[in-house]
Amino acid sequence: MIHFISKRLKHSLVLLFLASLVCFTLVVSAPGNVAVLIAELRGAVATPGYVEQVAEEIGLNKPLLMRYVDWLGDAVRGDFGISYRTGQDVSADLANRMLVTGILIAGSAAIATLISLALGFLGAFWPYKLPDRASRGLALLGASTPTFFVGALMIYAFSVTFQLLPSFGFAGPQSWILPWLTVAVLPAAVLSRVVRVGLEEAMASPFVLTAKSKGLGRTTILFREALPNITPLFINALGTQVGLMTATAIIVEPLFAWQGVGDYFLAGVRFRDFMVVQACLLIFLTFFIVVNLIVDLAVLLTDPRIRRQWS
Amino acid sequence: MHDEPLLNVSNLTVNLLTAKSAVRPVDGVSYSVRQGECLAIVGESGSGKTVMNFAPLGLMPTGVTTILSGSVKLEGRELIGLPEAEIQKLRGKSVGFIFQDPMSALNPVRRIGRQIAEMAELHLTMTPRAAEARALELVKLVGISDPAARLRQYPHELSGGLRQRIVIAIALAGEPKLLIADEPTTALDVTVQAQILRLLKDVQRRLNMGMVLITHDMGVVAGAADNIVVMYAARAAECGPVDKVLVNPRHPYTKGLINAIPRKEDPIGSEFRGLPGVPPTLGAPIRGCAFAPRCELAVATCSRNRPPMVPTGDGNVSVACPVVNQGKAAA
Ligand SMILES: Nc1ncnc2c1ncn2[C@@H]1O[C@H](COP(=O)(O)OP(=O)(O)OP(=O)(O)O)[C@@H](O)[C@H]1O
Ligand code: SF4
Ligand SMILES: [Mg+2]
Repeated sequence: MIHFISKRLKHSLVLLFLASLVCFTLVVSAPGNVAVLIAELRGAVATPGYVEQVAEEIGLNKPLLMRYVDWLGDAVRGDFGISYRTGQDVSADLANRMLVTGILIAGSAAIATLISLALGFLGAFWPYKLPDRASRGLALLGASTPTFFVGALMIYAFSVTFQLLPSFGFAGPQSWILPWLTVAVLPAAVLSRVVRVGLEEAMASPFVLTAKSKGLGRTTILFREALPNITPLFINALGTQVGLMTATAIIVEPLFAWQGVGDYFLAGVRFRDFMVVQACLLIFLTFFIVVNLIVDLAVLLTDPRIRRQWS
Repeated sequence: MHDEPLLNVSNLTVNLLTAKSAVRPVDGVSYSVRQGECLAIVGESGSGKTVMNFAPLGLMPTGVTTILSGSVKLEGRELIGLPEAEIQKLRGKSVGFIFQDPMSALNPVRRIGRQIAEMAELHLTMTPRAAEARALELVKLVGISDPAARLRQYPHELSGGLRQRIVIAIALAGEPKLLIADEPTTALDVTVQAQILRLLKDVQRRLNMGMVLITHDMGVVAGAADNIVVMYAARAAECGPVDKVLVNPRHPYTKGLINAIPRKEDPIGSEFRGLPGVPPTLGAPIRGCAFAPRCELAVATCSRNRPPMVPTGDGNVSVACPVVNQGKAAA
């Protein structure tokens, strides 16, 4: 167990290092001269002299390796530098924005989990009957509707038509509901299929015949026998979906005027604010890696067969 | 009440309908099991042994429609026509089941202790704590060493033989009157097979249960069973006390089976061999004797009329073969 965790941690650190390289390389190799951009953003005329001065100021003239080491050294200490565009401390901006995105992803993950378990169980309980077909239809619809469209629909339905919920802003739980639902739709659709198919497979296993021969009822078997069997599978799929929510956040945060990391990233890209882009990418990748680590540990805890291999 | 058999099956027919096919794997079979008795059911693969025992107790896989006719009485109570909710109450409580493959019969992600104890909670209405104690007793009863530690383990941590002992413990947990063991040793190592069989036989005697033992192994039949039903293509070919049927087989198929036993010592683990031809596929019901295409004694009428099960007059042995029966009568 300890062995597994330490091995997995090392693995994650290597991945993080690679991720930092990727972020750095992407940004360095992006087209356009940053110094010119900054000069223009500062409202100055980009004369060659001034551009050169800017380049010197932000360290563009140093060798690439040095720039990488400088940047990584700062990043590890939580210093992502200064936004080219606003002159603000990127780390300070990020701290606030991570909270916003964290709330978005945590709430959406919880909602997606609840909805997918409910739909999946409905389907598994009445296989090929109306509830199953309905949940299958919903899943297909949810999985094939683009997220921005879902968001627009939510706003139209809940705030414009029924005026139940605020259509934008980040001001307390009421304002969180629509963004949560919007982000949750796609993962809920995908995960409901994972639950439904996983339960069906589990219910066809020989141990379910044993359970039946013991006199257990169908509901008991579904919850007591089949559910623990699909838990590792579900956690895996949930982890993937939560990772992908970072991408969804880039679409949904601007839609609801949430100042999260996704929104920050989008603004950074738009204005070629590479310090911001770099920092956001690194945050996203770190999030991915940490989620994967948590998933692996959770699977370890829920599947005694895997636990055995590592004990 | 005293001479009423524990399990009385008469003229049982099972039709299975799936999306693709309709088969009749059990066709008019009768037998009975008394308390403390062991009945062996033998027959080639696909002859309907599993379906015959599982279908009346509602243990068919989903996706199959099961149509039962005839009569199956358990402790005098008719099972055919009984609602599934009622049959569910009998499973585990009145009848315990043991399966062929102990590797897949247990839930891999649940502790063994829970898998046994839930039986006691359900059928003996015990508290979880009392049920754990009961599980410990059962694990001891089936001869497992270090029982307390086993209860905390998961199935994959045990060998096949130990797992089958756990499956037996589960089957015994509801204190059933009847055990149905479907090839309980087929999937195990040869050395373990004899141990498991001895255990089964031992608990059956000690707890005075009835037992249906489905097997391919004539050595097992000789060692464990009181009576035998020989199945061929969904029908019973011959039935009667083991000491009569094995010593003096009458039906050509039974004879073939017994001739196919390797003559050397240690018949345990051997399979049927040496019977020429293949059993028929179960599709439309066969008009005459299902064994006719493979039978040396077949006469023209064999493939025309279905041979009925007829008592031979020799101590409860019945044979479904008019040629043999008439031969006896004439002699
Ligand atoms: N789930 C099912 N769906 C459709 N047909 C089935 C199903 N189970 C059994 N059958 C049919 O019933 C026949 C008898 O099957 P059964 O499992 O009872 O044979 P068996 O005598 O137990 O064989 P084995 O010795 O291999 O266990 C099979 O040949 C098959 O045609
Ligand atoms: S009835 Fe005919 S075919 Fe069938 S076993 Fe007897 S002799 Fe053979
Ligand atoms: Mg079988």
